[in-house]
Formats: sequence, C-alpha cells, structure tokens
Amino acid sequence: MRRAALVAGGAVLLAWPLLVPRYFVFLTSLIVVNAIVAIGLNLLSGYTNQLSFGHAGFFAVGAYVAAVLTVREPALPVVLTLALAGLATALVGLALGVPCLRLEGLYLAMATLAFGFVVVEAILNLDWLTRGNDGLAVPVARLGPLALASDAAKYYLVLAVGALMVAAAVNIARTRTGRALLAIRESEIAAQASGVHLAAYKTLAFAVSAFYTGVAGGLFAFVVGFISPDAFDVFLSVDFVAMIIVGGLGSIPGSILGAAVITLLYDWLAAFQNYRPLFFGLILIGCMLFMPGGIASRVPRRTPPAR
Amino acid sequence: MRTGLAVVIALLVAAAAPPALAQQGVTDSEIVLGGSNSFSGPLAFTGEQATRYGVDLYFKVVNDAGGINGRKIRTIYYDDGYKPQEAVANTKKLVEQDRVFAIIAPQGTPPVVATLGYLEEQKVPLLFPFQGSPVTRGRPWVFNGMLLYDRQAKMMIDYLVGQRKFKAVATLYQDDEYGKSFLTAFEKNLAPHGLKMVAAESVKRGVTDVSAQIAKLQAAKPEVLFLVLTPGPAAQALKERQRIGWTKVVAVSSGPLTDERYLALAGDAAEGVEGLSLWPDPVASDLAALKRYRAEMQKYFPKNEPNRYSLSGYFAAMLFTEGAKRAGRTLTRSALVTALEGVKGFDSGILPPLSIGADHETQKQGFWVRVEKGRFKQLTDWLKAE
Amino acid sequence: MTTAALIHVVVSGLATGSIYALMAIALVIIYNATRTLNFAQGEMLMISTFVGWAAWEALALPLVVVLLVAVAAAALLAWAIEWAVIRRAISATHFDVLIITLGLSLVLRAAAGLVWTHDQFPFPSFFDNRPLVLGPVRVAPVSLGIIGGSLGLMLALGALFRWTRLGRAMRAVAQNQRAARLMGISVERVYSASWVLAGVVGAIAGVLIAPVVFLSSSMGLVVINGFTAAVLGGFGSMPGAVVGGMLLGVLENLAPLWLPAGIKHSVPFLLMIAILMIRPSGVLGRARQRKV
Repeated sequence: MRRAALVAGGAVLLAWPLLVPRYFVFLTSLIVVNAIVAIGLNLLSGYTNQLSFGHAGFFAVGAYVAAVLTVREPALPVVLTLALAGLATALVGLALGVPCLRLEGLYLAMATLAFGFVVVEAILNLDWLTRGNDGLAVPVARLGPLALASDAAKYYLVLAVGALMVAAAVNIARTRTGRALLAIRESEIAAQASGVHLAAYKTLAFAVSAFYTGVAGGLFAFVVGFISPDAFDVFLSVDFVAMIIVGGLGSIPGSILGAAVITLLYDWLAAFQNYRPLFFGLILIGCMLFMPGGIASRVPRRTPPAR
Repeated sequence: MRTGLAVVIALLVAAAAPPALAQQGVTDSEIVLGGSNSFSGPLAFTGEQATRYGVDLYFKVVNDAGGINGRKIRTIYYDDGYKPQEAVANTKKLVEQDRVFAIIAPQGTPPVVATLGYLEEQKVPLLFPFQGSPVTRGRPWVFNGMLLYDRQAKMMIDYLVGQRKFKAVATLYQDDEYGKSFLTAFEKNLAPHGLKMVAAESVKRGVTDVSAQIAKLQAAKPEVLFLVLTPGPAAQALKERQRIGWTKVVAVSSGPLTDERYLALAGDAAEGVEGLSLWPDPVASDLAALKRYRAEMQKYFPKNEPNRYSLSGYFAAMLFTEGAKRAGRTLTRSALVTALEGVKGFDSGILPPLSIGADHETQKQGFWVRVEKGRFKQLTDWLKAE
Repeated sequence: MTTAALIHVVVSGLATGSIYALMAIALVIIYNATRTLNFAQGEMLMISTFVGWAAWEALALPLVVVLLVAVAAAALLAWAIEWAVIRRAISATHFDVLIITLGLSLVLRAAAGLVWTHDQFPFPSFFDNRPLVLGPVRVAPVSLGIIGGSLGLMLALGALFRWTRLGRAMRAVAQNQRAARLMGISVERVYSASWVLAGVVGAIAGVLIAPVVFLSSSMGLVVINGFTAAVLGGFGSMPGAVVGGMLLGVLENLAPLWLPAGIKHSVPFLLMIAILMIRPSGVLGRARQRKV
C-alpha cells in the first residue's frame, strides 16, 4: 500500500514538467531546494535542539561556491560542483559548530544570527571573487554533454539530488548516529550518561546540517541563475526556521511540507505588493499561536513514532 | 532501475529543447505590462512611487483618453523586496502566467540584472529599468531608463574640472554597484586631466553615522566632495559636515541623489550643495508638462505628493506610449523595439527633445543645480556627455 | 588625523552608542522577565516615534509633548502586544515567541509603510546641530544631548530597579520566576510591566535618535546593534548593556579610521561572534552556573 503510493508519487514527480505550466516547474524546483535546507536545519534543530538563525549564511556559502566553480573555466560537472559546495559549507559548519558547543538557547540563536551577517559581509568584501553587491550571474550547469538550461532540466537535477538527500536523512535515523542524535534530543544528560559523545555528535549535526544547506545553496544558484548578497539576508534564515516550525520540528515529511507552504506563500503574496510583509508576518504569528507543533503534529499517525 | 534512469535521461533531453514562443500580452482591447519591483525592503518607497504613482498615473490618463490605438493598458506588479531570486520568480510568473507584453520600470541593479538573461532568451522587452549601471547597455531587448552612471560621472567631471577648474576631488560613495560605478567612472575621467581622486571613502547601505568617513575626507583637503549615496546617508554626511564646521568644500550630489527628499532631510545643512539634476523640479517647475503631471497627480492620487521617483515612472510610461503608438495597431514585441529605436526628437516637455536610436539609451542629459534657500536653483542649461 | 577630529569622532560614537545601549537595555528588560528576545523592539521604537511625529505634524505640539505622545504610544503598543499576542503564547517555547516577535517586526514595519509610506522624514531635535567650539575641539550639541539624555534615562531606570516595588519585583522575576511567584509577586504583571517599560525606553531612544538617523519605517533596524551591544555586555546585565552599547558605538566609529575598507563594516558582527566564542557572559558578566 505504502509502496504503491510512493511509486505513484514518484511517477507524478517525474512527469511533473509535462503536466504543469513551466512556471510551476520552476516553483517546484524552489520548493525542493528549500525542502533540502529545511531537512538539514531539522537535523540540527530537531535532533540536537540547536536552533540556527544563520542558515541563510550556509545557503549563501553553498550558492557562491557552486557559482564560482561554474564561472571559472573549465567548469566542473554539476554533480562534483554540488558535492564541493556541500563539503565547503560543511567545513564552515564545523568551524562554527565547534565554538557554538558552548552556547545554547538564545546565545546560540544570536551567534548564528551574527554568522549570517558575517557571511554577507564576507561576500561583499571578497568582490574580486564574488563581484560583491553587483551579484554573480551563474552559468548553466553541465552534466557531461547536457546543458541543464531549461526549467525542466534544472527541475530533474534538483529532484534527483533532493531524493538522494531525503533518502539519506530518512536513513540517518536508523543508524547508530541517528540513534545517538535522538537520544540527545530526548535528554542531553541522559544521552551523555549512556556513553554518547555529546560534543562530537552536536558538532557532527552542525556539519551535516551545513552540508545539506550548502548543497541546496548550490542548486539554488543554478535554478535562479543569479545570486547577490541581498538574496541571503536575515529574513531568509527566518524563512528557513519558519519552514521547520510550520512543518513540525524533527519531522522529514513536515520539513518538505513546511518548505512547500512557505515557498508557495511567498509566491502568492508577491502580488500583494506592500501588503506582503504584513500578511506574511500575520500568518507567521498565527501559525505560532494556533499551531505550535507545526503541520506535522496535526497529521494523525497510524503507528506510534519509533523513539 | 535502469529503465527509470532511461526515462530520466529521455525527459532531460526533451526538457533541454528550447521552448516555443508566442506573441502575448496584446489583445484587441488591452495591453498588459508588468514588473517586479521593491514594495518592501530598502527601496520600497522609490518602487511604489515609480510604479503605482508614476507609471500607473500616466496610463490612467492615457486609458481615460481612449488608450493606445484603442487598447487600454493594464499593469501587474509583484514585490521582490530587492532580492534577485524573487525578481527572477516574479518575472517568470509575469511572462509565463500573466503573459505580459513587456516588463516596465523594474528597480535596482541586482534584481534587474538577475532577469536579463531570461528576458533576452524569451525576447521580452525590458523597458526603462530604474537603475543606471552600464551592465544593461548594448542589449537588444533592453531600453535603458535612467541616465547611465558612467555618463553622469563624465558630465560631472567635465563640468567641474573642465569648466570650473577644480583640481582636488574626493568621493563619499555607497559600497555597492551604484557607488562603485560612479567611483570608477570618476577616476577614469579625471585621468585625461592629469588628476587623481584625493580621497574616497565608502559608506555601507543604511548606515547611521558617517563621522569617521567625513573626518578622513576632510583630512585630504578636497575642493569638491562627490556624494554618491542614497538620501538618508547623504543627508547625514551633510549634517556631519555642518557639525564639524567644514565649509571649505563644494559638496556635489550624484544624479540619482539630487532630489527634494534629501534636501528636506538635510535641512539647512544642504545650503550651497550642488548637484547634477536629471529631472526638472517636480514640485516647483513651471514647465507646462510638469504642471500637467502635478494636476494629474492631484486628480488621481490627491494624497500622494509629486516627486522625482513617480516622475521617472510617469516618463517611462510616456515613452512606452510613444513607442506603442508608433508601432501601430499590429503591436508586436519586435515592432515595439523598432518603433522605440526610431524615436527622434521626441518632445516630452519634461526632458529636452529626445532621440533613442540603436544605443537604446533614453535619458542622456542633465543640468547643474545649486541649493539656495532650500530649493534647487538651475545653474546651467542641459549638459551633454558624449 | 588630528586629536580634535578624533575627539569628535569618539563623541559621535558615544552618541550612537548610547542609543545602542538604550536598545540593549530594552531588550534586556524583556529578556530578564520572559527569557525571550524581542525582535520587534526596533519596530516598536519606530512606530512610537512615528506617532509622536504625526502628532507634531498635525498639531505643531512642542517637542516635549511630542516626546510624551511617543512614550504614551509606546506604552500602549507594548501593553497591547503583550496582552494580545505574547501572553497567548505563554505555553509556547521561547523560540516560538522569538518567531512571533519576528513576525511582529514584519507586520509593524509594513503597517508603518502603509500609513506613512516607506519614505524618510526629518524629525525635530531638542539640540542644535551646529558645533560648540572649545579651542581646537568641535563637539556637536546634538551628540552631547543624546549622550546626556540617554545617561539620564539610564540613571532613572537604575533608580527604578533599585528603589521601587516594581523594580524589585522585576529583579526577583529575573533571578528566579518560581521563587518570585511563591513570594507573592504577580509574574504576569511583571511580564506586562517589562514590555511597557521596554517600549517606553525605545520611544525615548527613538525621539533622541530620529533627528540624526531620520524617521523611516526601516529605522527599527537599529535593533541589530542593540543585540550586539547586549551580547557584548553579557545578555541580561543592565550595566553590561550600557558598556556594550558605548563600546560598540565607539569601535564602530573608530574602525573606519584605521582598518582596511574590507572589514570595517563587519566590526559589530565579528565582535559579537568573538565575544560569544571567548566570553559568552560578556565583558562585564560572570560565568553562569548551569543547572541540571
């Protein structure tokens, strides 16, 4: 039954560019990109209770690494570019994660917030590489002989990478690492007492989360085709947090759903011009007041969650 | 698994084929135009003024007079908050979902540049973007709006160094494309005079204190200080100059800055400031076309005060109308481009008679002003930069 | 760079710094009571300053009355927000409340834009902009006025916390909510009072700074520097907030004098990260004890 649903869903996703207008293909790509970030953020926040307000910074690092690697000649194949974008961002995540171990709660929120600002400043200052405030046009991604120029081609790239990332995230929970992370979520002290190396796993969560976000940033650069520091402001970090809160902390389907809701909301609200932030803010507040557990908590589960 | 892969590859190949193109946005009774603009974010005020109170104001007048060749004009705007990715999304939506005929008066260099490639590929005219970086020059489907920054900078150096014989120039500029475009062009145009910029300091967007930058600039003892900023920081710079009693310098504002809003902010600290003006005074000019603009604003948007941002949008709509009229009843995108290229000596009553031609640049002139008793006083006739 | 110019730059930095300090104090007041960050603090400042300005425009009131109008508006707004939104979310986590205040900041800024447009406006000042000449040194009365006004307000707050019943209740809640409740303090009243007090501090800061940074829907962004100042001083400490604000203002002004163009704009954020990494309890704070 579940298998049939998965196959049907997969078929619809594969046929999607043939079924819907071009613009929705583009929009779906954005949703998947955001979903990867949301899953990455959830690995950090959902498991280790470290809420980051700096994921726009990781996203920017990934986007710029991918863009810079593609701008230079000869450009690398897109798969390699994305992997490097993810790894570079994971390194940045490690560098931030280690000192952040000492911080918790709001202090962590503030440190990550500041990190987001520092990334934007760094992009502005490395203008020989990033072209600063002017922004960087990202060339078309190449996969062997194929140029992934059309919205549909980009969509398949994003979908393939997204599927891989989702599968990995689902399976993390079944590994030793995943169980350690879950233990940390339930109680840091209890986990430590049971022999879980708290610092190592928390740092690992930071790096993995950054990896996800970096890969998504790379995809974002290709999907949009142009990046500038203005794209990665603090409100983007807030949007990411909103995605996982709306979707439900710690839930992978929730992350995807949250990403879809926030992305579509943004798209829909653009037409309201100067009313847009007003409505977005009100919806955000409404969600927090009336749906504290997120959408995922509203979906009845048939089987009790494995804990 | 293998068949799945084959399907993916087949779909990828199919998807890589270029999309079919159809004429759109023009019916027997209507022309649809659109644009992504800032209705939130740092440029929300300019965005709203240029579109809803500028472009739309002129089109309301045109529509009430029967439209262009019998067609009414409808506009659609989406907010991008000055973010390029949202500008791309909005522009795609406008072209693919709303099926607009052309993009009119989008704002800001990064959002506009982000959409250039896509619009070019779709062969959608990008009309009169509200930005002056030369990156939009020499593109077949773009018609520039604002006087491009490098032309402005040349005009300013030609006038101040060439005519008024100033030797020591310094610049306080915004740390982005706008500021840097000017700075580069200033330096390039100083070189033939055998001069160098004596000091240049940058200001971050939205800064609140410029005392350190002003102190450093003062130490370099320039005769002329260029301000390539937005109204807030520029007014702060002028107030800071007043605060330290630095009177022996001519402060000069760039074209986009020379506007009434920053005069109001700076108050008496703006007295004696000079600048390159791109538009006649929207509030006080007694040109017939400006009086008409104010009367129409009073009629359609009585609560909105006239200003240069809405005037620039108003002018963009006026140019579109002229082009669309020339293109005639069979209005297509390429017919519009040809018609706009053929505009010669068009007398808007706002700017001097204007010819567009193959370079796709509309505004090419400005004039020099000085602030006297809180208003801009015109010092020269229209200057040229060739 | 002459010494005279340097003095001017430092004084100017102290003036900006005192505003950061006031923002930091407002944030700390709310943090101490409710353990949340109020991201909407800057927008509350902006709205109350706008209301004062609107009264000034419409009725040409004297500036002191404008200040009172702004303060009253701020108190009302803060009370309403606490009562209508924050209190409803009391069962939510601190992060939920954080997101709520972020949402509020979007809503308030957009609302201000709808009512007053996103334009910038000049704001009347208590103090002159022309310099006082003291030998070779020039200082602006407006800078001195901002510093003096802020210090006065800080002293008043200090007195309030030390000697009034409300102040003592607020300190008690900051130290231990449960104990405070057991001692018969109405914690809800303290929540409400904290919001109102923070709003009032913001309104005064807004009226002081608006002539310098101008009135606009985006003036609330100063809250980010308020955060940095609060972190520098050790979040939760009032004297720390003052020191942090002043330090930040001066460093921010001195950095462009010597540092290469490259990193001068990043100073506040680099400072914030450095402090969080090296000494999370802030320059003045003491290390916190962690309870199991």
